Amino acid sequence: MPTTSKPELRRSVTPWGSFSWGYSDVGADIFVGLGLVLAAAAGASNVAFLFAGIVYVCIGLAYTELAATYPVAGGGQYFVLRGLGDIFGFIAGWAVLLDFTIDITLFAWTCVDYLSQLLPVLTGSVHPWVHFLVTLGLIVGLCALNVVGVRESTAFNGAVSALDVVSETCILCFGFLFAFRPELLVHNMQMSWPSPYQLMLGTSLAIISFVGLESISQAAQETQRPASVIPRTSIALILTILIFALAYSNLALGMQPWHPITDAAGHPIQFWQIFPNNGDNQGKAVALLAEQVPYFGAIAAFYVPILGAVLLLISSNSGVFGSSRIAYAMSKSNLLPSIFQRVHSKFRTPAISIVAFGGVAVLELIFAAFPSLHPDAMTLYARFFRNESGLDFLADLYAFGAATSYSFVFVALIALRLTDPLSPRKFKIPLNVPVRVRGERAEFPVIGVIGFVGILSILVFTLFTHPIGRIAGPSWLFLGLIAYVIYRRHRGLPVFGSQKRDWRKAQVEILRNAGELELMDEYVASVKASDERRAKAGV
Amino acid sequence: MLALRAVLAVALVVCGTVIIVRVAALGVRFESLPGLVLGAAMMALGVHRISLILRLRGGGVAR
Repeated sequence: MPTTSKPELRRSVTPWGSFSWGYSDVGADIFVGLGLVLAAAAGASNVAFLFAGIVYVCIGLAYTELAATYPVAGGGQYFVLRGLGDIFGFIAGWAVLLDFTIDITLFAWTCVDYLSQLLPVLTGSVHPWVHFLVTLGLIVGLCALNVVGVRESTAFNGAVSALDVVSETCILCFGFLFAFRPELLVHNMQMSWPSPYQLMLGTSLAIISFVGLESISQAAQETQRPASVIPRTSIALILTILIFALAYSNLALGMQPWHPITDAAGHPIQFWQIFPNNGDNQGKAVALLAEQVPYFGAIAAFYVPILGAVLLLISSNSGVFGSSRIAYAMSKSNLLPSIFQRVHSKFRTPAISIVAFGGVAVLELIFAAFPSLHPDAMTLYARFFRNESGLDFLADLYAFGAATSYSFVFVALIALRLTDPLSPRKFKIPLNVPVRVRGERAEFPVIGVIGFVGILSILVFTLFTHPIGRIAGPSWLFLGLIAYVIYRRHRGLPVFGSQKRDWRKAQVEILRNAGELELMDEYVASVKASDERRAKAGV
Repeated sequence: MLALRAVLAVALVVCGTVIIVRVAALGVRFESLPGLVLGAAMMALGVHRISLILRLRGGGVAR
């Protein structure tokens, strides 16, 4: 738990800052996910987004409750650690770390894809080295920005997030008012319904359009009055993101393009048909859709690629922010070596974590870009990974990491409801069944079970349909577990068991540090009353 | 800023209504489901934002 002797992360993130951290991360996902899902799920893309969206709402509610109850920097990792113990906390945190490092690379990569809409020299299939070097430069630059400090980043995020919400609302309003043909949507759904395999692939990719709520809980330790602010920002975020994802997919399938689109042979095709087998188009789907929107598309064609690129860059920045904060929190919980909790004496940011996981992101970039940079590597990848492209590789791992960590978070949510009913929950997921656990009144979250089943099915789809994801994802977890065992043995800590922790004391400390003094008093009173009840009952 | 947010909220409600009306006109079928969910979600968010803005103007809790 935080101590007063060492430099701590400062609480500089405001409510809007908290929203924009989440929005800039999750909101950018649709810029990446739309093209991939349209290419995979074709006429069922909107159904894939709907299924993933329902699961995402459950995840969002779970994170909202947990982050408001335990406002610490660890996010999902901390909830799992507290609910299920050290080793599961490590696995969840390690999976989230994978996701955030992929986030850095994937979003920097697609940022360059969006810019290529205006600057063809950046097109990955034509100038792979330029694409690679610009992406690399972005990652290194973001790491440097994060070492300097969080305040600068949140101000930047806030302005771009506001601009993007306005812009996307305009695109969708113009699109649905002037280009949307419901009969075309129904026609495409009926005539281009994919095979079950492709639908599973599309659904597993659709979940990447909803990854990033972790950012809000990451920012919880740096947010003012988190128990009040987190629910408000999260609910707004959940609804906004859900609407954008559903709207884009429905519009893409049911829009009459402003300008006729033809294939290589000159035959007219539907808008969504430009995505299958075209990695360049998949990487900039929203920009392509925006320019096909009547009237507004004339302006959107110029600025949406830039806005998309900036938003994706911010999302990549959220990856740097998130990975360093998770490593910081895991290190504080003795799940990672103490070097990751060192805070820079001048900037008060976890500089070593930022550099370390920025380095992992660079390695992922090299692995993803290698086939396009070297012809021999292309042959090798084709042999082992079924011709998956760099973008596919990153998306595979992103979906795997998200599905794994979210699965654990749902179990942790249920466990914490039953084992820690006394912690004040300013926001509680609806639909609960009252139960009694060891004499205390608790509530069993039905939505937690529904969400768990949903995310578990997406994890199964991911493992079933992603050739790289099912090898690289579990390998990442396996290597991490080996390192964890070595570290815990070296420190003389239990390997498969958990360290003894005083969670009650920790909770008081968390609420005090968060400035939630009323909740702290409420918690202390509940604990006292519970102890008296138990003493009377002779427990 | 508040006026812009109000315009966006109204646009969401209008857009959601248009989607629901046009998709529902095709009849009750599986293919209509994503469109209906989308329209309903847009209307819900728009109405929610308008109510927040009205509370704000009426001296309620500021966001």
